[in-house]
Amino acid sequence: MAATQVLPRPKAYDDTFWKPISLWLTTTDHKLIGIMYMVTGILSFVIGGIFALIIRLQLSQPNLKVVDPETYNQMISAHGVTMIFFFVTIFLTGIANYMVPIMIGARDMAFPRVNLLGFWLVPVSIILYYSGFFSGGALDAGWTGYAPLTEKAYQAKSLGVDFWAMSIIVWAISGIMASTNFLTTIVALRAPGMKLTRLPLFVWAQISTSILLLVVGAPLAAAMILVEFDRQLGTQFFTTQGRPVLYQHLFWFFGHPEVYIMILPGFGMISEVIPVFARKPIFGYMSMVAALFGIVFLSMTVWAHHMFTVGMNTYVEGFFMLMTMLIAVPTGIKFFNWIATAWWGSIDFEIPMKFAFGFLATFLIGGITGVYLASVPVDTQLHQSYYVVAHLHYVLFGGSVFTIFAGIYYWFPKITGRMLNKTLGEWNFWTLFVGFNGTFLIMHTLGLEGMPRRIATYSNEAWAATNLIITVSSFLIAFSVAIFLINVVRSWNHGEVAGDDPWRANTLEWATASPPPPYNFERVPPVRSFMPLRDLRESGELEEELTPEPAPA
Amino acid sequence: MAGSTDRSPIYFGAVRLSPRSVVWTLGLLLATVLVSSCGVGGLSPIFPNPVSPNGQNIYNTYIGISIPAIIIFIGVEIALLWVVVKYRRSTQPATYVPPQIHGNTPLEVAWTIAPLVVVLAIALYSFVELQRDFQPVSASNYTVVVSGHQFGWNYTYPEGFTVHQEGSLQTEVTPFVVPTHRLVRLEFQGTDVIHSWWVPAVSGKTDAVPGYDNFSWLKIDEVGKWRGECAELCGVGHSTMQIIVQSMDEPQYNAWVQQQMAAAKSSP
Ligand code: HEM
Ligand SMILES: [Cu+2]
Ligand SMILES: [Cu+2]
Repeated sequence: MAATQVLPRPKAYDDTFWKPISLWLTTTDHKLIGIMYMVTGILSFVIGGIFALIIRLQLSQPNLKVVDPETYNQMISAHGVTMIFFFVTIFLTGIANYMVPIMIGARDMAFPRVNLLGFWLVPVSIILYYSGFFSGGALDAGWTGYAPLTEKAYQAKSLGVDFWAMSIIVWAISGIMASTNFLTTIVALRAPGMKLTRLPLFVWAQISTSILLLVVGAPLAAAMILVEFDRQLGTQFFTTQGRPVLYQHLFWFFGHPEVYIMILPGFGMISEVIPVFARKPIFGYMSMVAALFGIVFLSMTVWAHHMFTVGMNTYVEGFFMLMTMLIAVPTGIKFFNWIATAWWGSIDFEIPMKFAFGFLATFLIGGITGVYLASVPVDTQLHQSYYVVAHLHYVLFGGSVFTIFAGIYYWFPKITGRMLNKTLGEWNFWTLFVGFNGTFLIMHTLGLEGMPRRIATYSNEAWAATNLIITVSSFLIAFSVAIFLINVVRSWNHGEVAGDDPWRANTLEWATASPPPPYNFERVPPVRSFMPLRDLRESGELEEELTPEPAPA
Repeated sequence: MAGSTDRSPIYFGAVRLSPRSVVWTLGLLLATVLVSSCGVGGLSPIFPNPVSPNGQNIYNTYIGISIPAIIIFIGVEIALLWVVVKYRRSTQPATYVPPQIHGNTPLEVAWTIAPLVVVLAIALYSFVELQRDFQPVSASNYTVVVSGHQFGWNYTYPEGFTVHQEGSLQTEVTPFVVPTHRLVRLEFQGTDVIHSWWVPAVSGKTDAVPGYDNFSWLKIDEVGKWRGECAELCGVGHSTMQIIVQSMDEPQYNAWVQQQMAAAKSSP
């Protein structure tokens, strides 16, 4: 069958990374912009990881002073900001930028030049943030930047906070642009036959994410502007004389939905990967979509669960507790549907599927510890301890990073035309899985025994061995990421040629060449269900649709 | 042709040094070292059972939530393992074609309702505890004002004197002394940035926010000493903001109070 035949790579569109720099700088092609987003994201992952290793070295034993406390506080802040704002969100925007137009059979995004501008605001935002390090010290109040610690009275020496606020404002504008663009593209540019009920679940996830970012991006920028007013114009919004708790409300109204901005696209990718490798259609398509929107709605009503110790009215706390716990329901629906999809399947544990199951096994733990944290009384013990650090990494690392890796191993053949090496993929997965659990599982118990987060050091000898194990495991994660990077670089140049559809997938992006030509499709295939490619394969129309015009060399 | 497996390189080689086995061996080795080095702290599955009744209620709430949590955790992980072991293509006959099921409404309704019932129960159970222990207490006339600053705690007693618990990691900090068998109301204030007062073996944490009064209480029935520390990042000295709570029997406590008042009078 043509689907798996090793086709010569189309020459029409040069797929190496080494294009003229002027092309990279000015391109409005959603695929190239997508690649730039993704590369930016991965570079940020490496930088954020280096911050993490410094943090872990410092905590490997009691009373260490690898860096002084001032620097340590900058490290944890830079780690959090880098991972959340510059890695996960940016990478996911990139993969969606690449895939969404192709998956819906469009030629490009709706506003290619807005896409270009939106992307180039990202390096501006990143450079602004890191400029803080050269201004006498970057942000040192954690990625949440709680007032009044960020106020001038406590930060007189450096401009780190100002650079952070500017950086986040630019980031929010960029995110709002991207979200608008995604929504317009998906609403307006779908191929004939691509009804809403036939959208791939990854595209649905991107709709949900974009709605979220559109709603909460502006309040985030507003909070940052008010922080700047306080610092530079002498207003008193969040100062010691003002209302510091107001800042927390504004920040978390963005901050909690941001967690879902970072996880819903991952959910979408898992919903693409499991059916393909289990050879079964997704179980409960409509309930998957409904669950996404349930999460979108609920996630905007839970922000104060980060504030259960500031002293709110107990009925207000009860409301936020209830809404938070209710999120377990749509998340549970998705989980059960994924398991049901794989059930009775014929599962091929290729690397993307391994990461998908790694995600299911670990994200579950993050979901369950989330219910403990949602319970107000219990949260007064767990809040701001290493239990929270463990929980948030089970959600963001087990959730976002594992799904991102699943997505990369799945779509790399489409993007580059070459397969990622499988042996290295195995090493990548197993070292990451063990290193991840070794690092973060016992952080729960450290937190339960009273180790607060964000402490530059500790004197309690009883915590020494556990912390050492965590640090050793974190270097296993670094090793794993190194394997991954080697794999990407090697395979991009020398990998096995993938062909159009190496996985026998279901969706439209696999119905064009790998990598796709600039205009994406010679002719958009007919769409008759949410698995258009599978329909073609079964009706025997595939060969005709797939054979690319051999372009002149 | 059956997908990419056929075209992938022979990846384990003759030595069969499979990544999975190597990594698991390393991991298990690490775990063995961990378990065998006795006296390792930081591995308990729950916080210490607190000495104050509000803390004990939180402890029980934690255990209560753990019952459904552990059942769900084990159930779902077993289901995942089952899928991994049972439905591998490599162990299936070549002729196996998976049933093309698109969903099952009764099943989907069931796994919407069941988690809903569980979380509603957990929420209700937690709410009851919230109403019981997190309301302002009026049953006490003994109020200590706890105020956080960069980097230490001040405790102002109703008798008028103040204990200064200045932050330090090198030496043990000055203890916050409380009487046994007596409900002590704690009123929290912040004077600069936000701090959070946390002694896990006594009860949960309470933030000390500037311009905003917060409260908690404790009642300790045994003599002892418990440590804790500030839980809200408050600047460079955050990790030095250690806390020690010490409880004394009535006579000793009264003697201690007299001593503090005398000291307060002698120093202007
Ligand atoms: C390379 C693996 C990683 C390691 C070893 C690691 C380690 C840590 C540690 C030890 C902390 C606590 C610092 C402290 O409280 O003193 C921390 C905080 C944090 N990490 Fe990671 N992390 C890793 C990857 C990630 C990833 C992938 C993400 C997000 C996608 C992430 C997001 C965060 C956030 C948001 C915080 C909170 C920062 C703050 O307190 O302001 N981390 N990490
Ligand atoms: Cu949240
Ligand atoms: Cu502190």
